[in-house]
Amino acid sequence: MKKISRYMRLYRIFAVQYMKTVMQSKVDFFIGLGGFLISQAAGLAFLYLVFQQIPTMKEWTLEQLLFIYGFAQIPRGIDHLLTDNLWMVGWQMVIQGTFDKYMLRPMNLFFQIVCEKIQFDAVGELLIGILFVGRAVAKGVVQVTPLKVLFFFISMIAGSVIYTSVKLVLASIAFWVKDSSPIMTTAYDVADFAKYPVEIYAKPIQIVLMTILPFAFVAYIPSTYFLIDANILKTIAAECGIAVIFWLFSYHLFKKGLTIYESAGS
Amino acid sequence: MTKFFQVYWTFAANQIKSNFVYKGRFYLFIIRKFLGMFIYYYLWMAIYASSPSGQLGGFTRSEMILYVFLSYTIADIVMIGISSEIGKDVLDGSVAMNLVKPINYRLYLTSKALGVMIYRIIVPSVFIWAGLEIYKVTALGMAVSSPSQIGLALISILLSFFIYVFFDYCFGMLAFVTTYIFGMTIIKNAALNLLTGRLIPISFFPAVVQEIFSFLPFTAMTYVPVMIWMGKYSGTEALLQLGKQAIWVVLLYLLGSLLWKKIEKRLVILGG
Repeated sequence: MKKISRYMRLYRIFAVQYMKTVMQSKVDFFIGLGGFLISQAAGLAFLYLVFQQIPTMKEWTLEQLLFIYGFAQIPRGIDHLLTDNLWMVGWQMVIQGTFDKYMLRPMNLFFQIVCEKIQFDAVGELLIGILFVGRAVAKGVVQVTPLKVLFFFISMIAGSVIYTSVKLVLASIAFWVKDSSPIMTTAYDVADFAKYPVEIYAKPIQIVLMTILPFAFVAYIPSTYFLIDANILKTIAAECGIAVIFWLFSYHLFKKGLTIYESAGS
Repeated sequence: MTKFFQVYWTFAANQIKSNFVYKGRFYLFIIRKFLGMFIYYYLWMAIYASSPSGQLGGFTRSEMILYVFLSYTIADIVMIGISSEIGKDVLDGSVAMNLVKPINYRLYLTSKALGVMIYRIIVPSVFIWAGLEIYKVTALGMAVSSPSQIGLALISILLSFFIYVFFDYCFGMLAFVTTYIFGMTIIKNAALNLLTGRLIPISFFPAVVQEIFSFLPFTAMTYVPVMIWMGKYSGTEALLQLGKQAIWVVLLYLLGSLLWKKIEKRLVILGG
């Protein structure tokens, strides 16, 4: 318990420090926010334009697809907000040897990496996500019951954990190959598949989305529970199970990677 | 004149070589390209499966398959960013070195982009195109594209390349105003995805929006070459569009020169 309160305090200190650097350039914040908002808007414009032409897609209405789309953005946004610094591990820290600094401090290494940066660009994703989930509620696309609200929050947390775990696995690969950023970007491209119903894809893609890169469990599968009352065991419970398994695996891999990390010398 | 080509070709050739060096990146790069294309391929297939008429925005299902792959590959070889390099050069001050050297900064960047373009034509666009033509004839039962169609499309692609590079040069000038070029690039890419017709054919937009787009350079970046290749613009229409593209090349070139002149004056670089 004491440990937790210590880390909470540390996180606050790091966050405040980071805030100061963000404040140096407020324009950057708005550029970043605008960038992610416009990216989302482009994806939504696509759906709107397509649904001018067709009534439903594989029995999904536009409203339902917008819910899935919004639903997918929230865990992605949470992960993006809190753990964006993992990109730097895969991309620069291992190859340049700047990872050393973490090794020297008496703190959990994963915690140190994560707390160093709060990526406010993610607010764009979160805004779009909340907006479209809210819209679906207002339009009666999803019913609101206390149980569903509870499971919604659980699903958001589990979804974020899945994102973070996948990112941690891929970033940890850098301990072996020095620069894993091309693999990370590829995996993030795969995540784009998850914004739409998984059943439209060919079987091999579906299998990838449900096993190696389980992004289907972040958005589409749990959202069916809210939309069409799909079996909770196959949706939310499965999502949580995947989250736990992937987290344990990724953290284990990260620890293992640390043992073979060697500095860049000089 | 030959000297000119010798000098600038070296930059292009270097880019081609360095792109071939990293094997792992090379394969991942190809996988990434395919992933993007297949998301939209499956999405469109699902959309057409739900369409009662079988024709959307003036495209049949078969045409849409061609559209997805052509627009993806063409956008890939045409849209080669130079603004990130400008951003980097401005940030670390090495842009000053480029002012001292007896080379033209914009031509230097354009040559490098040309090198990347040639590399991307070889891997893997040309193979996708060949595969697409075979698929078109065997699986979709359409006629093979005529040599004149492809010829015109290739000219159009080259013009598109210059439009994009000169546009991106102007965009890169923003680096003198803000240091967060990464965020600006995300905005640019998202907007271009929609405006160039890469995400969805321009013909899906409402008529008013299409009218506005025809006065902007963006449709000339990928939509025009794709339409010419697919034979949607025929004869005089195709030539008209090529003429329009040529005008955009000139206009954006002039705009770039103008911006550079303005910015060069206020450029201050610390010591060295």
